Amino acid sequence: MNYDPIKLEIFKNLFAAAAEEMGTVLRRSSYSPNIKERRDFSCALFDARGRMVAQAAHIPVHLGAMPLSVAAAIEKFGGDLGSGDLVMLNDPFRGGTHLPDITMVSPVFLPSSARQAGPTGSLLGFVASRAHHADVGGMTPGSMPVAREIYQEGLIIPPVKLLRRDQMQTDILDLVLANVRTPQERLGDLQAQIAANRRGAGRLVELVARYGPEEVNEVMGQLLAYTERTTRRLLESLPNGTYRFEDHLDDDGLGGAPVPIRVAVSIHRDRATVDFSGSAPQQAGSVNAVFAITLSAVYYVFRCLLGLDVPNNAGCLAPIAVLAPPGTVVNALPPAPVAGGNVETSQRIVDVLLGALAQACPEKVPAASQGTMNNVTIGGALPRCPRGTGEAGAGFAYYETIGGGMGARPDRDGPSAIHSHMTNTLNTPVEALEYAYPLRVQRYAVRAGSGGAGRFRGGDGIVRAIEVLTDCQVTLLSERRGQGPYGLRGGGSGQPGENRILRGEAEIPLPGKGTVDLKKGDVLVIRTPGGGGYGPVEA
Amino acid sequence: MKTEPALRIGIDIGGTFTDFVVYDPADGSLRTFKLLSTPADPAQAVLEGLDRIRADGRSHLPGSRPLEIIHGSTVATNALLERKGAPTALVTTAGFGDVLQIGRQNRPALYDLFADPPEVLVPADLRFEVDERVDHEGNVLQALAPGQVDEIVQKLKTRNISSLAVCLLFSFLRPEHEQRIAERLRRAGLLVSLSSEILPEYREFERTSTTVVNAYVSPALDAYLGHFEADLGERDSLRIMQSNGGNISLDQARRYGVRCILSGPAGGVVGCDYVARQAALPPAAPQQGRQAEAGKGAEEVRVITFDMGGTSTDVALIEGHPTITTEAVVGGCPIHIPLLDIHTIGAGGGSIARLDAGGALRVGPESAGADPGPACYGRGGEAATVTDANLVLGRLPAEHFLGGQMPLDASRAQAALARLGAELGLNAEQAALGVIQVANAHMERALRVISVERGHDPRRFRLLSFGGAGSLHAADLGRSLGIPAAIVPPLASTLSAFGMLAAEVIKDYTRTVMLPGETPIPDLADRLRTLEMCGRDDLLAEGVAEAGIRLERFLDMRYRGQSYELIVPFSQSVYADFHRLHAHQYGYAQENAPVEVVNLRLRAVGQAEPPPLPRPPLQGPDPSAARIDERRVLFLDGPHTTPLYRAELLVPGNRIEGPAVVVRADTTVLLGPGDVASLDANSNLIIELGR
Repeated sequence: MNYDPIKLEIFKNLFAAAAEEMGTVLRRSSYSPNIKERRDFSCALFDARGRMVAQAAHIPVHLGAMPLSVAAAIEKFGGDLGSGDLVMLNDPFRGGTHLPDITMVSPVFLPSSARQAGPTGSLLGFVASRAHHADVGGMTPGSMPVAREIYQEGLIIPPVKLLRRDQMQTDILDLVLANVRTPQERLGDLQAQIAANRRGAGRLVELVARYGPEEVNEVMGQLLAYTERTTRRLLESLPNGTYRFEDHLDDDGLGGAPVPIRVAVSIHRDRATVDFSGSAPQQAGSVNAVFAITLSAVYYVFRCLLGLDVPNNAGCLAPIAVLAPPGTVVNALPPAPVAGGNVETSQRIVDVLLGALAQACPEKVPAASQGTMNNVTIGGALPRCPRGTGEAGAGFAYYETIGGGMGARPDRDGPSAIHSHMTNTLNTPVEALEYAYPLRVQRYAVRAGSGGAGRFRGGDGIVRAIEVLTDCQVTLLSERRGQGPYGLRGGGSGQPGENRILRGEAEIPLPGKGTVDLKKGDVLVIRTPGGGGYGPVEA
Repeated sequence: MKTEPALRIGIDIGGTFTDFVVYDPADGSLRTFKLLSTPADPAQAVLEGLDRIRADGRSHLPGSRPLEIIHGSTVATNALLERKGAPTALVTTAGFGDVLQIGRQNRPALYDLFADPPEVLVPADLRFEVDERVDHEGNVLQALAPGQVDEIVQKLKTRNISSLAVCLLFSFLRPEHEQRIAERLRRAGLLVSLSSEILPEYREFERTSTTVVNAYVSPALDAYLGHFEADLGERDSLRIMQSNGGNISLDQARRYGVRCILSGPAGGVVGCDYVARQAALPPAAPQQGRQAEAGKGAEEVRVITFDMGGTSTDVALIEGHPTITTEAVVGGCPIHIPLLDIHTIGAGGGSIARLDAGGALRVGPESAGADPGPACYGRGGEAATVTDANLVLGRLPAEHFLGGQMPLDASRAQAALARLGAELGLNAEQAALGVIQVANAHMERALRVISVERGHDPRRFRLLSFGGAGSLHAADLGRSLGIPAAIVPPLASTLSAFGMLAAEVIKDYTRTVMLPGETPIPDLADRLRTLEMCGRDDLLAEGVAEAGIRLERFLDMRYRGQSYELIVPFSQSVYADFHRLHAHQYGYAQENAPVEVVNLRLRAVGQAEPPPLPRPPLQGPDPSAARIDERRVLFLDGPHTTPLYRAELLVPGNRIEGPAVVVRADTTVLLGPGDVASLDANSNLIIELGR
């Protein structure tokens, strides 16, 4: 046996605890509701080669993407990374996913004071944190616009050192803060991320002080092999064959046609190939996913099928080849706008993967869930100075995602009013939201009857109605407004979502994606999709 | 004739045993006993125990003595965990009836497509909405329409629902609407829980959840206590343990059942706090710069409590006083009233070890429980458990288990570990060492969560081990966290019941105020005064003497824009203290950033007179009179010939050098090579940990 079953389990706990602790620091000391209330962040540990060893159970869409951030930091700085350096980036084409997600990568070195053997100053690994910031500039507040090119989406940060030898590079910080709508909040969040990375680095150093660098390094390798073995076992248990599925996005937000995504999953013994050939070319609007997103979706789906509490690390994808032709909606190239690839297209990629795998293992796969995150961004100038924000006249940007119905399972109904698949962010409490922003929630309820019919019903969506108390701008990035999430084995589709404005007596329908100006007193009403049903309705 | 003082009795109901601790102030005696629990009707064991105490009382004293009982009831906890509380209705602001079902809209397990969210306590047809609205400044945007409440009363009557929660938006700023609804509903004979009374703090889901839990469990607790009360004599009294570490009157407990959830573990932590205060502790380890400043004084108690049972392990941290959390989740329901911060993991002596599909050695969360129990119980359990591993290593002497009343079957443990070892490519002993190491890794992670993760350096603490299974692991765990010493108190297995006797009367009050950080200190003091008046009045009503009242004031503070608050003791320097605490907890402070005072917080304490612990005279260090045997015990560094001591024969002052095994009727203590233990004046075993 070339691994130690006891050490595996001990270190699994140690690494996971370190990643979770980073998350606790980030969540508790951050400023923007995205991070502190909604928990839209992830933290992970990497070995010295940049392979992910452990990621805390935070946000699935970050799973496959975090390793690419570390790779980008290594590629840019290589040997020029020293102790106390911290690399910041958000460039989707160099380690990022979409611009609001800012990632910080810290190399961790053996401190010169460590007693253990090992060359002083040698690289032990990396820690990284990624958080969704409420605003990174660009054409609309919240930086989730319906854009035509990435330059409109906000400030692009290539891998840069925000800290050198523990010293804040204030030039870079000032540049970033000058380009965002809520600089004070950004500063707080960036500091929280730095604090999280420091905590993670400290934990890794402690582990090495306790077990020695060789042993830590050795077990990191064993853990990757461990997760890889479990994936191979899973693949072996599936019938060999090629399983195809196709679904589509409603449109690209610029009035285009439905955008097809096609997949062929081939299982051959303990290996799989996931091929997205035949998917639509990259789009003019912002539904494009960079490869990191597609990788995350593949990762997520196989991780779910594993059904085992294994560490989230690079081993999971080792036996799976992912083919996504460059220039398509699942592997976009610059200067494509990508804001929605992360939050919307990622969900559809999961839908097609699950649709394909339902043919291989029907007992493990539910019908389609809502298939969207219902991104709503509301921004403008503050009419006065509500508590918790800046001064009158200052800008505000509020971003939220809304849960919906989950697909029915082969043995029971799907849950209602809940986030599914690639996100699991929390809502902002109504009272917290009203303290912080010139908004008033009028209704927040389960959208009864919206789940698909079937032997088992899909979960119901949500109705959320928000009155704006000042003139402002709202940007919507939502999907499944045309056709509802699919049912399986004869189950019905869930109801598609709806977006509207109530203005006095008038009801104005809104598209799934777009930016509109709201007047004080307008009420934005979002109805989110229900999940698909499973099996035919029994007579 | 002088009247005899009341006998004071602490009672804790556990899964297997119901524990009694009886203190007689007349002669200072303290005795304990256990009865088998009666889960179907928990009161049965309690009443049986009381009968026994009364009978004993009569046997040597003429006439019956009054009983003063402090009781930790599991009724409220079980009602919630098993979803067996009263059918409960909910009244909300129109548009928000589904607040409980939506919750925070997140799913419970990230990678499990088959996980279901916790069952909602109020079904859809018992959610009622009323037209009314208050804004975030407390302005009434829409007045309450009175007729709707009458309709609700009618509907509840036809449905035969008697308990109900009311939670309106921003009611903590303007409670009048909730109060008017309550008035009408109470007139109709309904039990009403108001969010503005139970938890007047912002965040509607957590407030609603806490209030609904109260409505859901209080009727069950009320019925249980009513049954109980009927059995008490005229001069007897009954007080109820709360999860915040204090006790309250019967009357209060019946109305505020949510405060009694998880009161048993709270008793354990209070017991630890008391024991640690009394313990003759070795001098504290040298402190280092920043941490030394954060501490409040050299005499402050600093222990991490460790209660390892058969299926789960509870850990908590005491620094001066037990740590409080306001973010507990029980049975899937957030409960945001202040509770002792007890972290529970599903690993214990009965946790089952197995090799998983990827080839890692797992321990737990599956447990053999008490039945069939570990393989060595010989009741049909086949799987290797942590207890079996301890037995195979020679750490748990089979013939001395539970004072010899329940000898363990070493051959079954050996066989179970040999089977596991065969899968691992190891022999039974190596496999057993592995099982212990993995179990310890889980425990260590739990201990880190409540210490390191919350900004505390474990090296400044001592590990206080109670409960049956923990003392075999305490020394190793302490070592791996750099903790200098472990403590095993003499009451280890009845410490929860003892803690109830030691508990003070505690009532917590909060109010969301959302004030800017420029608010002058005197203004804050004025606002706190309202809570102080409530606290003082309530304690006087509880029968606490004026001189015994202590009022502790706190502010929940954050940087403006954050959403987690730090609880800071109120003083003239509260703003500076906040920055310091933030730096200590999270590694940075922003002295120039605006601060916000979110909640006022008051803890009203009625001081108790805990029973003194017996202090037999100190004697010499030689423990040989207690030495009963020796045997081969396997440690990580190899086998050692290890002496066995019987704890009951040790006397204060005795000193034992590890390796050693100390057996006691209720627990077994393991000392590693290099550890040195001494029995202090209160008969605590203080283990100074070697490297």
